[in-house]
Parts: sequence; C-alpha cells; structure tokens
Amino acid sequence: MLVFAISDKGGTGRSVTGTNIVYRHALQGNDVCYLDFDFGSPTAGAIFSVSAVARGTPENGLHEYLRGECPQPRRVDVWAESDREGLRTRPPGAGRLVLLPGSEGGGELSALTDEIVGRCVQLFGRLEEEFDLCMIDVSAGRSFTAELVLAATVRMPAVPFRWLVFHRWTRQHIIAADGLVAGADGLLDVGSRFGHDREDLRDRIRFVRTAVLEPDAAELVGLRDEQRAWLSACDSELRELAGRHGVGRTAMLGKIPLDPVLQWREQLITDEDVLASKIANAETAAAFDELAKKIVDDSAWEGL
Amino acid sequence: MLVIGEVHTGLLQNSGEISESTCRQVLGLMAGESVRVSRRPIVHALSPERLTGVDCALPAASRSRIRGVGTVVSRCAVTGGRVAQGSSYVRVVRSETDRRLPWSHYLSRPGVVEVLGKAKAADLAEGFTGDPAPGCLDLGAVSGRFLDLVQASPLLDRRAPFKIPRTSLRWVAETGEPSIRFTLHTEQERTLRLTHPGPFTPAVVDLCEDLATHDWLLTSLLVIVERARIGATPGAQAVARLAPAIDHLMHLWMPAARVEEWLTPFWESLERRPGFTRQWRSLVDRVRDQVAMNTLALLSATAEAGRR
Repeated sequence: MLVFAISDKGGTGRSVTGTNIVYRHALQGNDVCYLDFDFGSPTAGAIFSVSAVARGTPENGLHEYLRGECPQPRRVDVWAESDREGLRTRPPGAGRLVLLPGSEGGGELSALTDEIVGRCVQLFGRLEEEFDLCMIDVSAGRSFTAELVLAATVRMPAVPFRWLVFHRWTRQHIIAADGLVAGADGLLDVGSRFGHDREDLRDRIRFVRTAVLEPDAAELVGLRDEQRAWLSACDSELRELAGRHGVGRTAMLGKIPLDPVLQWREQLITDEDVLASKIANAETAAAFDELAKKIVDDSAWEGL
Repeated sequence: MLVIGEVHTGLLQNSGEISESTCRQVLGLMAGESVRVSRRPIVHALSPERLTGVDCALPAASRSRIRGVGTVVSRCAVTGGRVAQGSSYVRVVRSETDRRLPWSHYLSRPGVVEVLGKAKAADLAEGFTGDPAPGCLDLGAVSGRFLDLVQASPLLDRRAPFKIPRTSLRWVAETGEPSIRFTLHTEQERTLRLTHPGPFTPAVVDLCEDLATHDWLLTSLLVIVERARIGATPGAQAVARLAPAIDHLMHLWMPAARVEEWLTPFWESLERRPGFTRQWRSLVDRVRDQVAMNTLALLSATAEAGRR
C-alpha cells in the first residue's frame, strides 16, 4: 500500500503526523518505509532523530535517484541508526522501519519528464514488494512532486494507493484543503488529466485534522466561561464550514489533538514519552495508533 | 579471464502461483523467441536472453580505471510459478587491441566484455564481490530492471500473499582448482566465489541461479518464522502468521534440480557447510510442529467443550 501525505499549506504538521503514523504502524508489527519527497525541505531525518540525514542525505538521496544520478536511493534503518535511545532498539514484534531521505540541498523538481516518472514507478513497485506500508511525504500545496506521484500511480493500476490530506482546524485551512483536492488544478483535476478516474481518486482521499483543540479538552479547564463559549461557537462554525467544503466528518480519517510536544519539537511520540517522562499526552499517542490502523482498514475507506 | 554475474530473486507479485502457460506469457520478453520450460521436479521457466550494450569502467579493488566494452546477457526466470528472478552475467576477456572497435565486433560476441588495457582477474574479482565504486558496471541494476519487467506484467494481480525483500547474489566464476565460497553480507546481499575445473559454460550460471533461488527461499522462511514470534504470541496467532510459508514456500525446495552433473559437487559442499538443506529442514519441522501443537490444543479444547 502506498500512502501519499500532502497538505494544503506548510506548517500543518504533515510530516510529524505522517512519521508518527508510520512509526505506530511498525510497532503494530508491519514493515514500513517513509519516503521524504518534500524535496525543497527534506527534514524527515530530524523527526526520526537520525542526525546524519537530518537535512537530507549528502549522497544517494531520492532527488538524485529520480534525476537518474544514482541507481538506488539510500535507505536508513531507523531502528539501527536513530540517535534517540528509545528508538535504537527494535521493540519485540515490531516490523522494519526504514527512511528514504531526500537529497541535502536538493530543491523542488523543476519539470516532470518521462524518465523521472519511470524511475518513480520503479521505486514504488520495488518498495511495495517488500513493505506493508510506504508513506510518501509529498510537499505542501500544488507541486511537480504531487503531479509526479499522480502520473506514477496511473502507470501501476494494480498497486493500491491512498491519499491523506492534512489540514489544521481553522477557516483558512479548511477552505485551502478543499481547494487542494477539488479546486482548479487540485488533485482531482490533475489526477484526471493524467488518466485517473475522478470519482475513484476521490474515494482514495481522506482528510486528517491536526493540532485540534476540542472544546472539552483538559487544557481548556482554566479558561473563562466566555472564552469557552466562544471556542465552542467557533468549533461548530468550523464544522459547518467543513461540511460545506467536503472536508467534513465523512471524509475525515482522523484527528490529532493539539500536543505541546508536537508544537515545540517535531518528534516521534514514543510510549516512553507518554508513560515515563509524561511529556506527551496519551490521547496524542492513541490518535496516532488509531490512524495507523485506519489507514489500512478498508471499512474506513468505503466510497463516500 | 573470469565471469561475473548478479542474480536478483523475489516473490512473484501475484496472489497465487501462476500456471505454466502464464509463465510463458510473462517471460515472453521477445516476440518470436520461446520461453524454455522444464517440468520435473519443479516447473522452471526461463525467458529468452537479451543483451545490453555497455562501455564503462569495471569495478576493481585497486580502484584503478579499467574500461570494458561489450554486451551483458540477461534473462528472467520463474520457479514453481512463485519465485521470480532477474539474472545477468558477462565474460570478461582481454581485448586484442587498445581501442574500441565497431559495435558489430561486440555484437558478434554476446555476453563478452572486452577489457581495453591492463587488468588483473584477481583485482576485478575482489572489486566486484567487494564494494564496487559508483559509476562502474552495475549488473545488479540490469538484473533488477529485468526482475521489474516480470513483476510489472499485466498478467499478475500484484496481490502477493506477503511482503518480502528481494535478495541479490553477486558471483564470480573462474577456472582452476575447484572451490566455492558463499558469503552473507547484509540482510539482502550475498556473494559467491566459484572456481571450477574446465572452461566456463552457461551451466555455471544455472548453478548460481539455483543457489540464489534456494538462498532466497531460506532467507524468506527465516523472516516468516521470525515474524510469527513463536512462543511470544498465542499459538493460533503464530500459526496464522506461518500459513503463508505453508501455502507458498515449503514445497519449492529442490536443491540442485537443474544443475549439471559436473557441478553438483559444489552444491554438495555447500550442503555440508553451511548446510542449506539442514537449516531448511529444521525450519520446516518447526513450522509443522507448531501446526501440530496448535491442532492438538484445538482438539482438546473442543473435547473439553463437549464434556461440559
């Protein structure tokens, strides 16, 4: 299964949520890999705490591979190469956790050629043979990278794939997320131009809300009644707005609560962070865990 | 001088095994040339051979620049309708001249790469089985692409019963006093150094491919048994995770089935040490014992329920 992670705007927590989902999926016993296709800013290595590739890899990155400058992209075994002690041993029963870093100083793709699409197809095909889940972090907004993966998936009709669109729970983001999918030159437009069936593609897209502050969250206990009432009114307004823009509950796969750890340092939330050091909230870890299950649960992906 | 090759082996990307006739279609890479199929003791289908022209540096342990020009022979195979391979090799020989000749010269010698200038066989052998410098002749890239061709066939449904990595076997064959050395490197990389009596024949390639198939089977069964976490998970769950091995792998073990008589001593020596079949048998027994234990547990649970 290929899962493409995209967001309407930068700063939505796409990468940190994507990596956490992949990490949880590995803990659930699956072999997973994470491809950093965010060529302008390949920093997934930092989230996995692999300092050697914190800003992408100096050699054999995905960018070089796609340009035909190396035969195979570099693979980083996170269980072996992470600097974080809690990640450096593979927990019993966990699957492989592999990062394919982007190229250091790579820059966005400037054009889409047939050769690049061919290499992308080859890469996806091979990874899909050996990994239960391949998550591809596509950069924010409309880009050649998004076009590339749309063009590649057309060429491999038998390979299952899904899209996750990450957005924050604000007016701007809801409108932008809808635009990214259904707007002019959005995913559906570009996808159908490349040969995807529009409705089929729509069924493969779900939204994930990030940094969500629930009106009944524990963090809001100290607020004044007026503030709480205002927040609650905002929330229902947003729900109504989301419903109108096709970003509502039915198209949503999950939501990640606001968590200080994710706000201040993008990192994997381990069980140790929740139980031992207690810096992260149990709800956040549970949300990642649930998303990691839902991503492959067909009942969560039935036609809308 | 020497022959170098690389075999990539993987699980055919289909839900079940494919029939002999489907094998023929999947491997029919070239119109007009037929797929060779042998049926006993296991169905083995071999594609026609294709050539790739190369003019590039050859990997040398001394990192000296050695230029080779010629053609690489590649082919694909499917064993038991389940295991797919892409395989490439070249015979490296000294060129009679120091400059590149017209392509017609190289095309009339399929599978031969001529070295322009000086080169030592030992340097090349070490370089190829060691850590080849980037930019050198990369037979793995060629073999990988041929395996991709098979895996991307529209006749396959791509719903493989389990996920498993490919393995690569890089081999070097020379003429001399018989010896064989098989080495495991990373989880997916293996090398083989073979010295055989008499001149090279394509039967040596068959031997290497046969070894690669069985090494892949053994590696994959080990992975599946590890994933089952026998003892750490409830019996029924472990057995469910072992099921793909029973359904798809355990009947494929046929060592040296396609190896010519004069090369079988090499297989026999590997059977003595490290002992491929010994390890395979012990794994298979372990899987079967788990199934038997689980059946017993189920039977006694059913009997218990009946008494109540």
